[in-house]
Amino acid sequence: MDEWKPNPAVKPHKKRSWYLAWKYKLMNQRALRKLCQTGAVLFLLVTVIVNIKLILDTRRAAYEEEEESAQDYDDEMLNVEVPRHPVNNKKVLDVEVYSSRSKVYVAVDGTTVLEDEAREQGRGIHVIVLNQATGHVMAKRVFDTYSPHEDEAMVLFLNMVARGRILIFTIKDEGSFHLKETAKNVLKSLGSQVAPFLSWRDMWTFVGKKGGEVYGEKHAKSPALSTWGDPVLLKTEVHLTSVEDAECHWPDTELNRRRKRFCSKVEGYGSVCSCKDPTPIEFNPDPLKDNKVFDVPVAVIAGNRPNYLYRMLRSLLSAQGVNPQMITVFIDGYYEEPMDVVELFGLSGIQHTPISIKNARVSQHYKASLTATFNLFPDAKFAVVLEEDLDISVDFFSFLSQSIHLLEEDESLYCISAWNDQGYEHTAEDPSLLYRVETMPGLGWVLRKSLYKDELEPKWPTPEKLWDWDMWMRMPEQRKGRECIIPDISRSYHFGIVGLNMNGYFHEAYFKKHKFNTVPNVQLKNVESLRKDNYETEIHRLLGEAEVLDHSKNPCEDSFVPDTEGRVYVMFIKMEQEADFTTWTQLAKCLHIWDLDVRGNHKGLWRLFRKKNHFLVVGVPASPYSSKKPSSVTPIYMEPPAKEEGAVAVPAAAEQT
Amino acid sequence: MQKINRNVVLALLSLTSLVFLLFQLCYYKFYLSQKNGAAFSKVRGSQSGQDSTRWHVVRKFLGLISSHNIPVYLIDPLILGLVDKDIEQIRSSPDGPSPECKYFCAPRDFTTFALLDKTWKHEVGLFRTAEKMGFQWLKIINKDPRLDGMDDLSGMEIPLHYIFKLASHAIHLVVFYERNGNFLWHGPLRLKQHMDRKFVPFRKLHFGRYPGAYEKTELLLVSIDDLKVQIPKNPSSFLEEMSHSRFLECRYREARAFFQLYPDDASLDAVEFRKKAKSLLHLSALTLNNLGVKFWLSSGTCLGWYRQCNIIAHSKDVDLGIFIRDYKADIIPAFQKAGLPLKHKFGKVEDSLELSFQGEGDVKLDIFFFYEEDDHIWNGGTQAKSGKKFKYLFPKFTLCWTEFVELKVHVPCETLQYVEANYGPEWKVPVKMWDWKSSPSNVQDNGVWPIDEWDNVIQIY
Repeated sequence: MDEWKPNPAVKPHKKRSWYLAWKYKLMNQRALRKLCQTGAVLFLLVTVIVNIKLILDTRRAAYEEEEESAQDYDDEMLNVEVPRHPVNNKKVLDVEVYSSRSKVYVAVDGTTVLEDEAREQGRGIHVIVLNQATGHVMAKRVFDTYSPHEDEAMVLFLNMVARGRILIFTIKDEGSFHLKETAKNVLKSLGSQVAPFLSWRDMWTFVGKKGGEVYGEKHAKSPALSTWGDPVLLKTEVHLTSVEDAECHWPDTELNRRRKRFCSKVEGYGSVCSCKDPTPIEFNPDPLKDNKVFDVPVAVIAGNRPNYLYRMLRSLLSAQGVNPQMITVFIDGYYEEPMDVVELFGLSGIQHTPISIKNARVSQHYKASLTATFNLFPDAKFAVVLEEDLDISVDFFSFLSQSIHLLEEDESLYCISAWNDQGYEHTAEDPSLLYRVETMPGLGWVLRKSLYKDELEPKWPTPEKLWDWDMWMRMPEQRKGRECIIPDISRSYHFGIVGLNMNGYFHEAYFKKHKFNTVPNVQLKNVESLRKDNYETEIHRLLGEAEVLDHSKNPCEDSFVPDTEGRVYVMFIKMEQEADFTTWTQLAKCLHIWDLDVRGNHKGLWRLFRKKNHFLVVGVPASPYSSKKPSSVTPIYMEPPAKEEGAVAVPAAAEQT
Repeated sequence: MQKINRNVVLALLSLTSLVFLLFQLCYYKFYLSQKNGAAFSKVRGSQSGQDSTRWHVVRKFLGLISSHNIPVYLIDPLILGLVDKDIEQIRSSPDGPSPECKYFCAPRDFTTFALLDKTWKHEVGLFRTAEKMGFQWLKIINKDPRLDGMDDLSGMEIPLHYIFKLASHAIHLVVFYERNGNFLWHGPLRLKQHMDRKFVPFRKLHFGRYPGAYEKTELLLVSIDDLKVQIPKNPSSFLEEMSHSRFLECRYREARAFFQLYPDDASLDAVEFRKKAKSLLHLSALTLNNLGVKFWLSSGTCLGWYRQCNIIAHSKDVDLGIFIRDYKADIIPAFQKAGLPLKHKFGKVEDSLELSFQGEGDVKLDIFFFYEEDDHIWNGGTQAKSGKKFKYLFPKFTLCWTEFVELKVHVPCETLQYVEANYGPEWKVPVKMWDWKSSPSNVQDNGVWPIDEWDNVIQIY
């Protein structure tokens, strides 16, 4: 075959027609056969080659595609999802509860969920709430029922727990001294046989289902007043129910899905998890007309006080003109429950690894939160800073919307704050009135971005400096003579008591009687008069019309101010130089207003209300307004008590707010 | 007989191969077309217009997002490219019905849209509705870079990309975030392990290989192919931006490690210097951007960004680089107008040009001009008193965007090579004594300026 190759290019006889060639070939049978055969073989060969190529191509294409989708787009960090705990199919939980004088513990299925053997701590009844379907701990509380009123708190808490939850009780040290009849009855209604007879230094453990069966109870009586009952250890089994039974059947909406997630995790938030008539978690307050703070980010600074945070966010989200998208909650520490609360309300939350200790930790948390806020909202010129233990007034945003332009335009302003340090029930009167003060009150305030970015952030106290951020901000190096605008009646209310430096007595004395605005849509009066120069004119006008009080009377007496309403009065106190607050501090003390350090002053002038009259106090001769003093009047001087208590109190006060 | 048999067998075999071959070819064609997502291409004719799959998917998607009031805009480079050609006509007839399907009917795997994060509320309802409409969707989330620079803050992960797939077409929705420095940022698209790698041919996406930085853009509502969509007001400038939008995040983790080793200078002087240097950088950026001159962080300022994500407190100046081809005679007057007097000018446009301006309070702005050669890039230095010339060599580099002291600026994408060329392998160790003539590891002597040129090439004010 090889020797013969028909070559169309070589045509020896050019003149011969193609037809003739064909004819010749036809005649040549052998050649034709050969031709056909060669053609067929060649064709088969081609087919085989094409086939192989096709197979290779498809393979490569498929392989490449796989590669393609993988390359470049792989996450560098291998985010291996840790599988969640396998669903516990077990229907029974082993529960161990221990009660003794110095130690309590609770173990569920071998996992210790409570252990307290600290000395001088954790006295009273410890309560743990378990989810009846999953066995997860939903709440942990301790009520020191050795002390008064704690039993009431316990009753309140137990009433809030949903039916069907598993309750575990154990006593550490002493839990009966102030356990009143009501509380005992509640425990009895839960199925406890011993509770009504619990007495001095008894040890007691109890496991039961709210509104259902009792899984076990153990009790050890104290043999004598001076000794404790023997430690008791209760081991019992709890039967889990199905998930459906443990959940409420709310209509399937986005909101209720959030609610469901929240309510299956935590307990102690009352009607938000009520099956029948749950309290709303979306509030839709009226929008504000011409809201100038709609796009201002709101930073909520929080720690691990989820119940406070819950209350705070409720009031914040109910305030008119709130924009939930601008709210970020910054949680100091990796606590779950505050985050659950944030998610319940559909807000965004950021957790912050604690840096440093005590006050410095708070300072660092503030810095991180403020920086993050301006990073997340790069367009913002301001940020509203709130804390988790504040109630927010319904017209909080309206108040800010009406005053924020001042902060933008008046360079002599440091902040706008919703809190008037001197605004108590008996000293604040006018919701439409604003002041300029030299002190920075905090507790719900607006920060200018340029102030933060250009001045505060670069020199913010470092973690090793154990400074309070707010005291630092009040220092003259930072404040540089600038002032804050505050309302007469506060737009925030400080309800927190279990703070870092706060004790119950302190709160009672200084915060509880604070006035808090509840009137919506207050139209602020004469906002322009708050500008630097206008304010001086305003003060001069006020002093011009003010009646000078009788300086021979005791200013602490009620009769110092006549029984009138709506008048303006002025009194003059002794104030040798700018920093001489001796008389003011004494006056503040007897008027039962903030006296731990000096607050609310403007150039040696304080403004407040007494008996519904505007009451001005001018420090003479330090204040530039001293010139208004009639020459006949001698400024009042009040002696501090023999021991310089004021001086001692100031550093303490420094830590309080 | 034998021979005939052989012939018949051969013929039969040939016939079967022929059939088989044809079959294979058909199959191959089908396979290829399917791979390109154009399986439906035969069904639609470009004349019949609006019955194409892509057009339908886009229309459905636009319906979906408008029912949830989510303002997306079209950033698909291929469509914007087409739109840009007819922009005048499209602008002038915003409502007119289009005679043919010109834009949304070309067979493609994707149509790309953008979404500004702050304009929507992350409602879950959107995805529910999407599913009901038959979309399959994929969400790509990752860490929030706006919190990345911060010590120990852990926010929620943020959505960076969404892909909505219906039939053979997918909508790629890129989420843009506002960043400090008044610009928009989109994240990279990275698949996590458990994700479906074959959900769509990710390789063909136009966005997501790298993070990107864009100017804020005005939008224009247009009607194209009878669909109402928002597009960037100026598609051509958007496309131009897109071609070099790559963004580099600062190496925050390494910067933190650096500060662990070498605690930051928190003295008042350092705070003051940083503040001044920052405002000088802002002013310079404003001036050069107004002139349309591309610049990047160079020398010490670049090192500060790369090593510690901040201005080096003990540096004395701000250093910028500009390609000599971008040089404009207006640069000097523009800076003078901005309140920065010329301090000295070394070299000339043809060789070793370098400008220095006096900023507020002792902070100096140095602008080095870079000359491109075939295999390297260099800038020059001049010693004033001796007229000596120096040359600093760098490997070739391209420019990327980054965020630095609340500013969107360029840095060399190949930053490590750039920094190493300048500061050597020991660049991680802070050096307070720095001599620009001898310390850099890429410095070369480059002769001496001829005396008669001194007046021109060494100007000190």
